[in-house]
Amino acid sequence: MKAVLFISFALLKKRKKQTMVTLLGVAISVSAFVVMSSIMFGFQKYFIQQVIDIEAHITIRPKEELAEDRLIRKFDNRSLIKVYGNRPKEKDRILGWKEIIRRLEQNPHILAVAPHLESKGVLKYGAKEKPVSIIGIEPSLEVRASVIERFLENKNLKALDTNRDSVIIGKVVARDLGLQEIYRKVVLSLPNGEIKMVKVVDFLNSGITNIDATRVYMPLKTLQALLGKVEEVNVLIVKIKDVNQAEAVAKALKKEIRYEVESWQRAYVNFLKLFKVQNLITYIIVLVIITVSAFGIFNIIMMTVMEKRKEIAILMAMGFTSKDITLIFLFTGLVTSILGGILGFLIAFGLLEYLSAIELDIEGLLRSKGFILDRSYTYYLLGFFLTLFFSLLASFYPAYRASKLDPVEIFKSL
Amino acid sequence: MLLRLENIEKWVGKEYILKKVSLKIERGDFVAIVGPSGSGKSSLLYIMGLLDKPTSGNIYYHNKVIDFSNKDWICKFRNETIGFVFQFHYLIPELNVLENVMAPQIKRGFSIKEAEDRSILLLERLGLKGKERRQIFEISGGEMQRVAIARALANDPEILLCDEPTGNLDSKNTHMVMEIFREINQRGTTIIMVTHDLNLAKGTKRIIEMLDGEIKTSFYLERVD
Repeated sequence: MKAVLFISFALLKKRKKQTMVTLLGVAISVSAFVVMSSIMFGFQKYFIQQVIDIEAHITIRPKEELAEDRLIRKFDNRSLIKVYGNRPKEKDRILGWKEIIRRLEQNPHILAVAPHLESKGVLKYGAKEKPVSIIGIEPSLEVRASVIERFLENKNLKALDTNRDSVIIGKVVARDLGLQEIYRKVVLSLPNGEIKMVKVVDFLNSGITNIDATRVYMPLKTLQALLGKVEEVNVLIVKIKDVNQAEAVAKALKKEIRYEVESWQRAYVNFLKLFKVQNLITYIIVLVIITVSAFGIFNIIMMTVMEKRKEIAILMAMGFTSKDITLIFLFTGLVTSILGGILGFLIAFGLLEYLSAIELDIEGLLRSKGFILDRSYTYYLLGFFLTLFFSLLASFYPAYRASKLDPVEIFKSL
Repeated sequence: MLLRLENIEKWVGKEYILKKVSLKIERGDFVAIVGPSGSGKSSLLYIMGLLDKPTSGNIYYHNKVIDFSNKDWICKFRNETIGFVFQFHYLIPELNVLENVMAPQIKRGFSIKEAEDRSILLLERLGLKGKERRQIFEISGGEMQRVAIARALANDPEILLCDEPTGNLDSKNTHMVMEIFREINQRGTTIIMVTHDLNLAKGTKRIIEMLDGEIKTSFYLERVD
């Protein structure tokens, strides 16, 4: 092995240009993998974390009734005209919700349950109007079942308890209405025609545009009174011990409760599917980069093997075995990959530092002041081992070819 | 007896290269194999050096038949027992003069320090003192061939196989190389040299003449100094 290392290091040292090109190829692959993973997963993990924190781990709501079931009249296909009309929903509330909460809180997987009354509405401030989703909450129960307070700019959740006519509105709602500070009054219109002047006591800034652009929280009792639904709730939110078990716990609850039980994974299934596609695309791109770099390694080692035929022949004449010859070229590939990997780490680290320092107003699915990065070391390791695997794979064929050269044929041809 | 060939044949397709060659080489021999191009001299040399496998026949080293299927043993044997010198030096340009001589010794298992010390002594013996750290492209053709000889002698081989070793050298360097060979041979190393130069052959102890893959004549020279 000593002799193999002796020759390999000499090849690496003296063929600096080729070594550097290969090394850079590997470094670019590793850094591309780390940076792209960091950006992608940073965004996705942040989104999921915010969703888990602000939304329920499990939601319990009345079952959706199919529109077909609620048709007042149906005509057969021979009729000239069809008249459709929806009966009012009969089951848009959770009956016996207090008892359900009491029962659920005895479940060992469940940490807390909070009631919601959800409705649509329109918020008006000055001349500006904004359609919103209103959620009536019981602040003392809400803090146990979600971490909404973390996202409140002024941590003023208790104000909903002390002031019955107060609301917390999403940051984007406030921005769209032109509301820059709290304690301003806005007009809330509800679908039943009720109009109420309410005071904004805090802003909700979750970072998720979809939530911040629609969400309004107000005291449960106030909303119940405004909608004429005294003591009624239509959603229960459940916080569980292990968020990853939400789907399993939801399935178990479905058997106990006659309402619709939905885990956060199911509620955000479209996003999660989108993320999967996004990850697939990212990894295809990264894989292409790694493959190109692996081809670079393949080309350079293959060229070295072709150029060094007579040196390989003389090494064989000296007593080097075919295995030694294979190892010499595999080792050059391995060393280049390791050095390239280390260089890739440095490039990736530098790039991530740079990206994290950039100030950008990003507004899409998420709102942020810059790139949301996941700086986990696992991407470094994964990128390194993936590139190492491809590089060794790329080195293997030329190394194998070198070991199969016939020294006599080479000597006779020269 | 150091080496014995018994009915060695080499065929490439339907064409024969060597036909029923039998030969004995004694320890301390200095043999020149002569013959026209295509007579099978180099092929015979490669088979004697275990670089090539005969189509049929046996090779004996120290009266032990060589088993060509044991490739690792063959490589080890070649590393420890046989040295090669070719018409072209075939030095590894990525290694300097000293490192080229060290390579076979490191393969044999010598430590870097041991290999370095032995190589320095060997290079000094071959008149290359002070040129140990030179790159290959920094030395002359004659010096390159002497480095190649030093590399071939690095593991104190019992037999040195040379394929037209002076074919690429001027007369002065040719003379120098032949002097080195004679000195090595006097120290006990067996040398087999393929050459087409009869004058060089006359400087050896024994001449084997080949024609069309067969040994035509084989005789010892009597030196009249």
